[in-house]
Amino acid sequence: MAGAAALATGGLRSALAAPAVLKQGSKLTFWGGLIFSEGANKLLADAVNKWGADNGIQTEVVMINQNETVQKVSAAVQSNSMPDVLDLSLDLLLVLSQQGVFLPVDDLFDSVGKAQGGWFAAVDKASSPSLLGGSRTGIPFGVSGNLLLRRKDLLEPAGFKTAPTTWQELVAEAVAVNKPPLFGLGLALSNVGDGNLQVSVLQSFGGRIADDAGKKAAIKSDATKAYLQWLKDAWDKKIFPPGNTTWDGAGDNQAYLAGQAAFIANTGSVGIAAKSQDPELYDGTAYSSLPAGPKQKISPLQPQLRAIPKTSQNPDAAKALIEYLSQPDFISAYYETAIYGPVLQAQTQFKAFDGSNPIHAGLLDLVKNGTAPGYPDVYNTAYADTANNFIIPKMAQRVVIDNWDFDRAMDEAQTQAQSIYDKYK
Amino acid sequence: MSILSKSRMSGGAKQSLFAYLLIAPVVALLLGLVAYPFFYAIYISFTNAVVGNPGHWIGFGNFEYLSHNPAFLNSISNTIFLVIVSDGLKLAVGLGLALLVNQRFVGRGIVRSFLMLPWAMPAFVVFLTWRLLYQPIGGGINLVLTGTGIYPQIVDWLGQRSTAMPAVVVATVWRGFPFWFVSLLAALQSIPGELYEAARVDGANAWQRFWAVTFPGIRPVIIVTTLLSSIWTANSFENVWLLTQGGPSDATMVFPVLAYFGMQTQRLGEAAAVSVATLPILAILVIVATSLMHQDDE
Repeated sequence: MAGAAALATGGLRSALAAPAVLKQGSKLTFWGGLIFSEGANKLLADAVNKWGADNGIQTEVVMINQNETVQKVSAAVQSNSMPDVLDLSLDLLLVLSQQGVFLPVDDLFDSVGKAQGGWFAAVDKASSPSLLGGSRTGIPFGVSGNLLLRRKDLLEPAGFKTAPTTWQELVAEAVAVNKPPLFGLGLALSNVGDGNLQVSVLQSFGGRIADDAGKKAAIKSDATKAYLQWLKDAWDKKIFPPGNTTWDGAGDNQAYLAGQAAFIANTGSVGIAAKSQDPELYDGTAYSSLPAGPKQKISPLQPQLRAIPKTSQNPDAAKALIEYLSQPDFISAYYETAIYGPVLQAQTQFKAFDGSNPIHAGLLDLVKNGTAPGYPDVYNTAYADTANNFIIPKMAQRVVIDNWDFDRAMDEAQTQAQSIYDKYK
Repeated sequence: MSILSKSRMSGGAKQSLFAYLLIAPVVALLLGLVAYPFFYAIYISFTNAVVGNPGHWIGFGNFEYLSHNPAFLNSISNTIFLVIVSDGLKLAVGLGLALLVNQRFVGRGIVRSFLMLPWAMPAFVVFLTWRLLYQPIGGGINLVLTGTGIYPQIVDWLGQRSTAMPAVVVATVWRGFPFWFVSLLAALQSIPGELYEAARVDGANAWQRFWAVTFPGIRPVIIVTTLLSSIWTANSFENVWLLTQGGPSDATMVFPVLAYFGMQTQRLGEAAAVSVATLPILAILVIVATSLMHQDDE
């Protein structure tokens, strides 16, 4: 651990050997991503302000609710009022980078990576220039993604000591503990981000959103039919909590915290909430990666990144701030309170990832063994648009709500997805 | 004479100029805040604009794309259904309560104030509360139904196609009826009492008094209220978004929610096209209401 820290610190010194000359008295606005940890939010805001004070730069920190980032950033782009630095998801970075909204930061990406043992391969691939219009336009600072949360206090007495390894096993275990008002499987099938977990399930059955070129929709297939069969069988066993087809973004969180679901897939925020609100539930919860399907295991990671808009009046200071926020002293403390996995190899030695915290252990596992966003599909703007239109959750709703046969549901999804992909030709 | 006349003309022109100057700020404000966004939205609905890129003219491309989108097709029928049914119910509830509260009884003022509460509450509080009431497990409505034995099964009000839209309608009516109630109450109070006395002398029963005296007296208000409420309902977002996000399976998808999805994908042209597509429906509504008001004036 000491060696890694030395590697990180020593490397960082070399990365910072030629700092840019910062304009004393200049201003810098930072939009940080508000997360489910007050401690982490305060730590970030304090760090930015301290950096500003140390460098003679007037900083303004605005913490943006991550559910509102898309709207606020879109309005800021249109009104030419972007901040100097902002936190955002890869989805949004991808779309805006295609429009040339951000400055290239390849040099910073390289120096930060070199300073801390290199980027994790999946993180490197997820933010590659080929996705982002030819340059690195964001510096990853954390990884989130879905973990499988399970009620081990209920499952172990029922004979299930370990996490389910396949989606079929998951259903079998969910059926075994399904006693309404406790339902076995708390997965959202609604028009919200959580509903798009179904894309990963579909892909693990071998289904695809588009072809290998990422140009032509490829939803209709035997593999998709197998996924729909799995879903319909699970639905008919009545293991989903009622209301899951119209849940909002907090639906699965609330169901789990209310003791209405034995399994959910969640980024870990539920665990944080349970720790303070219901310690008994926290102790009775185990975390694991998402199960595999008949074809493969799909567990996509979602990097969070920091980017510098081209409209920034203070790009040197913006780069310096991002570099500062990547330093071990800050990011180590931040990870301990935030719900993010590491992005750099040396960060695995941080206290947050020593295995004592099951959520962070799950996130570390996700970074090491998870799949790149969209994989096996090509993660491009058409793919992101398809996800944002909830084509797969809606296909699932057609099957379970409207009782459409699989071919009809796949036909509709295929047509809609193709019309989306056609827009990006 | 001619000099005097010229001087008067000049004075009149000055007055006109001064008047134009006085209204100029308001005209500029209207042009800037109403006309410009309105026509700009129409313009970008014919482009492939995305956030960060103004795009270029694509004609009816966005509308053609929408015409093949099942969510858009569902949103047309859903929006029309929501407007007609919820405004019909708001009229019935609002008029019934206005007639009731127009009578003299002890505590009338308190009842009138109480009936305004749904309108006074923030919309998101109203609809999140309704969402809690509709919850399948632990929701107030299911607790009452199962607890009293009226209906022993738990109903997933928002999660079934058959009940989702009716549930949205009920919450929308609850939130919106006070506007109808207070408008109609004001109209009822403006009808002279002598007309009712004359009708009674002529032997008219209650139903005949309503049709011959009350209804003609409140008709203009009904028309204006229908117009305003229909536009508000057609443009309402919180009710559907907070209750169902347009689901399940697009059963409650309406124009504003669909436009919001368009904004989420940064495609401004598409989102604007959804909004612009509602204009013909609203324009028909406005024309019908305006012609009815003209008939009343005549």
